[in-house]
Amino acid sequence: MSVTALQVTSIIVNGLQQGAIFALLGIGLTIVLGTMKFLNLAHGALYLIGAYVGMFFAVNRRLSGGTLSDMGFQAIGLSATPVTIGGVRFNANILLAMVAVVVVAFVVGALMERFIARPFYDRPETAQLLVTFGLALVVEQLARAIIGPTTFQAYGPVLDSATVAGQFSLWRLIIIAIAVAVIAITYFIIEYTDFGLVVQAGTIDSEMVRLLGIPITRSYTLVFGLGAVLAAFAGLIGGTFQTVSPTIGTTQALIPAFLVIVVGGAGSVVGAIVGGMALGMVFAVMQQSFLTQWANIVLFGSVAVVLLVRPGGLFGSVEVAE
Amino acid sequence: MSGDERPDGGQVGVVDEELGLLDRFVELKQRQWFLLTGSALVLLVLPFLMIDGLSVLSELLTGTDDFAGYAGLPSLVLVFAIVVIGFDLLLGYTRLLSFGHAAFFGAAAYGAAIFSEQVVASPLAMVVVGGLVGTLLALPIGVLSIRRSGVYFAVLTLTFAQMLFFWARSPGAWLTRGSNGFIPDAELTILGYRPDTPLTEALLVPLPETVFGTVTVEYVLVAVFALLAILMAYRIVNSPYGLVLEAVGQNQQRVNFVGLNVFRYKLMAFVISGAFAAVGGALFAIHEIAVGGGVYPDSLYWIQSGDFVIMTVLGGVGSIAGPVIGAFVFEYIANVINGASTVLFTGPLQPVLGEFTLNFTPIWRLVLGGVFVLVVAFFPDGVRGALASLARRLSDRFGERRREPATADGGDD
Repeated sequence: MSVTALQVTSIIVNGLQQGAIFALLGIGLTIVLGTMKFLNLAHGALYLIGAYVGMFFAVNRRLSGGTLSDMGFQAIGLSATPVTIGGVRFNANILLAMVAVVVVAFVVGALMERFIARPFYDRPETAQLLVTFGLALVVEQLARAIIGPTTFQAYGPVLDSATVAGQFSLWRLIIIAIAVAVIAITYFIIEYTDFGLVVQAGTIDSEMVRLLGIPITRSYTLVFGLGAVLAAFAGLIGGTFQTVSPTIGTTQALIPAFLVIVVGGAGSVVGAIVGGMALGMVFAVMQQSFLTQWANIVLFGSVAVVLLVRPGGLFGSVEVAE
Repeated sequence: MSGDERPDGGQVGVVDEELGLLDRFVELKQRQWFLLTGSALVLLVLPFLMIDGLSVLSELLTGTDDFAGYAGLPSLVLVFAIVVIGFDLLLGYTRLLSFGHAAFFGAAAYGAAIFSEQVVASPLAMVVVGGLVGTLLALPIGVLSIRRSGVYFAVLTLTFAQMLFFWARSPGAWLTRGSNGFIPDAELTILGYRPDTPLTEALLVPLPETVFGTVTVEYVLVAVFALLAILMAYRIVNSPYGLVLEAVGQNQQRVNFVGLNVFRYKLMAFVISGAFAAVGGALFAIHEIAVGGGVYPDSLYWIQSGDFVIMTVLGGVGSIAGPVIGAFVFEYIANVINGASTVLFTGPLQPVLGEFTLNFTPIWRLVLGGVFVLVVAFFPDGVRGALASLARRLSDRFGERRREPATADGGDD
C-alpha cells in the first residue's frame, strides 16, 4: 500500500480542521477550569447552542417532531442569501450567524456563570461535575423537545462545492483559517492584555488576585463568557461540515474537549492548542487509513496513555492534576 | 484484629473496651438480622406495591392507569439497584467518581448473553460467568485508573469504557454482533420454569394470589441477588474495612500516614463496586433475554455510566437505601412516565388556556435532567436525605406542638 502526496495533504487538511475545532473547545474549557477551578461538563451544551443558533441564522430548515413543529412551524431559519465573491457563490448569512452566535453564547455563558457556576465554586469537585452534567442533559433534551430529534445535514456556506487545486473543499480551508485566527486572537487576549493577565494570575492564585483589589468576580463572568463563545463558535463551524442533532453536544464536543485538556494539561492555553491539534491529527490519520473502525479506540487509547505516562498532560503541572 | 496481639502473646487493650466491642458485635448481628428480614419482606411485596399500589394511586390522581408500574418494572429496578449499591460504595464512601462503570455492566451482560447461547442457558451460570467477566475487567482498569485522582480518574475510567464500546460496535462485531445487538438463540429456564412464570404457580405452597400474583420466577432470582447485595454492602460499610474506605474518601493523606496502603484500599473498592455492576449487568442480560431481547453496545456507552451516576445521586450517596430509591425513581421516570401523557388544564382553566395534552415520551430525559439538577443543587443527600429531613422536621413540628401548651401555661402563671 503506497501513500501518495495527495493523500498525505488530504490527511493534514482534515486533521487541521478537526484539530482546530478540538482546540477551540479545549481552550474554552481550560480557561474556565484554570481560572475558576470549575469543571464544566455543560461545555458541550454550549457547542450545541452554537451549532443550532448558527444553523438557523444561516439556512432555513424543515422541522419534524418537537414542540415547534407541533405548534405549526414547519420550517424555521433565514433563507440563504447567495453572494458571488471572486467567481464563487457564498451564503452571506454565515457572517450574520457568526455575530449572532458570539452574542448569544456570551450571554448564555455569563448567565451560566452567575446562576449555575457561582453557587458551586465552594462545593466539592464532584458536585460541580454532577450539576453541570445535569445541565448538559437538560440543554440537550430541551433542544430535542423544542426542535425535534431531526439530524440536520451539514450546510456548507460555499455553494456549488468549490474546491482549491481541484481537491480540497474551499470551505474547509476557510474554516482552518478562521479557526486559526480565533485561536490567535484568544491567545493574544490571554497573553498580552490586562484582562488576560488577571486570568493568568487567577489560574495561579485567585485568592491573591482578590487581595490585590482586582474585582476578579467580574473577570470570572468574562472568562466564562469567553469560554462559551469559543465553544459555540466551534459548534457553528462544526455544523457547516458535520450533521447537527441533539446529541452532538456530548459526542462531538464534550468528550473531545475533555480529552484535549487532559492531554494538554489543565489550565494551559498552549496545551489546549497543541493537544487539540494532536488529537485532530490522530483522528484524521486513523479515519483515512485502513483502520477506520479503530479510529475512536486509538483516540481514547492515546489519551489514556498520555494520562498514565504524563499525569499532568503534556503542558500542565502535576500540581493541577492532583 | 491480629494487630492487637503482641509478639509475646499478650493482649493489648483494656477489658472494658473488649466488652464494648462484644456488645457492639452482638448489636450489629441483631441489626443485620433485622435488616435481612426487613429487606426480604419489602422485596417480597415490592411488585405488589409497584404494580397494584401505583395503579390505585394513578387512578386516584389522574383517573387513568398511565402512571402504574408494569410487570417487568420491579425486576428492572432491582437489577439497577444492585449496580447502584455497588457504585455508591465507590462514590459515596471512597469518594471516587467513575464515569466508566458501563464497562463492567456491559461486559458482564455480553458475557452472560454469549455464554447462554454458546454453553448453557442457565441463568445462575450466566450470573456467575458474567459476574466473573466484569470483575476481572475491573481489576486492570482499576489498577490503571486509580493512579490518578479527581477528574483524571473520571476521564481514565471513561476512556477505557469508551474503547470497549467502540470495540464492541465494530471491530469486535465477530463476537458481539455489533450494533445489531447480541440476541441469543436461547430459551432461559430457572429451575425448570420460564422466567415469567408467576411464583404462585411455581410453588407448591399456596400464596395469596392478590398480593403475590405479580411475583415472577425471574423477579425472585433478581430479588435474591438484591438481598445478597444489600447484605454484602451492609457488611462492608459496617466493617473496619468499610471505615478505612470512608476514611480514604475523607482524607487519603492521613490514611497514608497511619500506614495503610491507600492504593490497595481504593483498588479493592473499585473492584468490589465493579463486581456489583457486573452481577447487575448479567441479571440485566437475563431480564432482556427473557422477553426476547438481547444486549446492545449501548450498555457499554458512557450514557449508561452517566445513568448510574444519576441514579446514585438522585437517591442519595453514602447509604444503602439511597441507591435503591434512586434506581426506582430513575427507572420509573424512564419507563412509566416515558410512556405517559396527561391532559393539562382540564379544570376551570380550560376555557382560558385551551386543552393541552402533555406527552412525556420526548421529554422524559428532560424531566429527569431537571429533577437531577434540582437534587444536586438543593438536596445534596438526594431523595433519601430529603425524605429523612422531612420526617425529622415533621416530628419536630408535632413534638413542639405537644410542648407548646405547656410553655404557654408556664407563661400565664
